[in-house]
Amino acid sequence: MAGRLKSRIMALGLLACLVLIAIAVVAAPGASFSAQDREQLLAGTSTHHPTGTDALGRDRMVRVGAALLLSLAGAVAAAALTTMAAAAVGTISAFSHAYLGSLAMLVCDVFLALPWLFLLMMVRSALPLTTSPAHSAAITFLVLAALGWPACARAVYRGAIDLRNAEWLLQARAGGLHGRQIARHVLPNLMPLLLPQFLVSVPAFVIAEANLGALGLGIGEPLPSWGGMLLELDNSAMLVRTSWIYLPIALLILVLLLLEAIAIEV
Amino acid sequence: MKLVVHLLQRLARTIVLIVLVVIASTVLIRCAPGYLSDAREMDARYAAAARADLSTEAARSQSLRQMLFTEIDGWTHGSLGLSREYGVPVLELVLPRVAVTVKLMLRAIVFAWALALCASLLSSARRNPSLLWQAPATLLLAVPTAALATLCLLVDCGSPVLVMTLLLAARDFKFLDRMLRKAWRDPHLLQARAQGLTTFRLLCAHILPGIRTQLLALATLSIVTALSALVPVEVIFSVPGLGQLAWNAAMNRDLPVLLAVTMIMAVAVTFAGMASDGPAEWQGA
Repeated sequence: MAGRLKSRIMALGLLACLVLIAIAVVAAPGASFSAQDREQLLAGTSTHHPTGTDALGRDRMVRVGAALLLSLAGAVAAAALTTMAAAAVGTISAFSHAYLGSLAMLVCDVFLALPWLFLLMMVRSALPLTTSPAHSAAITFLVLAALGWPACARAVYRGAIDLRNAEWLLQARAGGLHGRQIARHVLPNLMPLLLPQFLVSVPAFVIAEANLGALGLGIGEPLPSWGGMLLELDNSAMLVRTSWIYLPIALLILVLLLLEAIAIEV
Repeated sequence: MKLVVHLLQRLARTIVLIVLVVIASTVLIRCAPGYLSDAREMDARYAAAARADLSTEAARSQSLRQMLFTEIDGWTHGSLGLSREYGVPVLELVLPRVAVTVKLMLRAIVFAWALALCASLLSSARRNPSLLWQAPATLLLAVPTAALATLCLLVDCGSPVLVMTLLLAARDFKFLDRMLRKAWRDPHLLQARAQGLTTFRLLCAHILPGIRTQLLALATLSIVTALSALVPVEVIFSVPGLGQLAWNAAMNRDLPVLLAVTMIMAVAVTFAGMASDGPAEWQGA
């Protein structure tokens, strides 16, 4: 148990270091993820571009740093939204009339029956053609949050039902506890359910965004994203010229391993 | 009699669920802000009159009720609607690809289960989780499907079946290992082992029947995971299956095709869920 806690703290520390390095790279004077150096297309290591440039002459290190920050921020925000929605739906359904609970679970079943990647593709492809990159990033993570809550809500519902039937809560309700007071007592008791759901959702959303981006349906250019950078691997001409092209995928796997290590059996 | 009633109830719930899935997907698509936009409207080569025709055509399908009616009508008549891009019934596009996808998924699921079961049996026999099995599974779970498929294609040593097998096996292994590790520690099994019952007999007579329900649930999860991995794998390896069709439809905004493929996937997931929950519930009934 102590070993697990230690490895989790180490993973968290390493992830924090990566985030700080990414912030330093992105915020450095003159650094821009969209600025093009037309003299240095697909360049290798140089003093100006330590990890080279992409096919459009943009600094790879700045783009990777920005992709890491964007993806983590988006995934954490989406996971927080998902967890909050699940907590609200699960708790309200458990403490309302039985028919409302059944209805909420039926809605969860409908969402769970829909394969999320297909649904994501469907929603993304039905967006206006003129959607800006920033909007496409926000919409991608919002859609992920909107589709991620049902499984978590089911678990919260079960947990809340158990709590509703717990003797201490029956006693408290009989004593006149209601509404907001119930939520204040129930939500802390649901934390052991909500925290793992939140931590598991973060790497799942990072992977989902990367997969969507690799299919060309994720965050729009010129904003950097893991998926967009994975698309570079399709270009064999680039692979011959520089091995820095593997940097995004290596870093993505490292970030995901760290997130999995943090999420494991909280 | 009780069993028949239970089966009918379960079937009715599944049908209601599918109808709700159709309605929810249609509403979702119709309410998306860009539903009425058409890529051809932005093409300067089209004359103003042609663009006006496109707008009229889009306006005609503006009503949600009309859209739902067309969708359900397409399903009841077996054509699954009309493709916006190709102008042919969606069924004509879907049918030749179903066999390809089913074959790919079945092979991947069978290989993955064989691999995960062997690995978890070997791994769970040890007292502590072995890094030899855990590390590759953890690593595979951390690699996005698209990245793994691209890497396999780059090093020229993989096929779509291999990529899907590895992804499914890693996920299945994590669950199976935990299930078997827990089962091996059951007091009655410790007693049986102490009395000299062979491992094979223990597995066949005690462990596997004991975790049958969880195995069925895991089988459903395998199908869902395989469906999620289908699109990147088929697109990257150019496999002419349903995943590639859905991706093409998404890129070309051919929403009737995308909607039909999503529905087929949803029906598959719903029936798989029904099949996995079935035995335990039927036993209870």
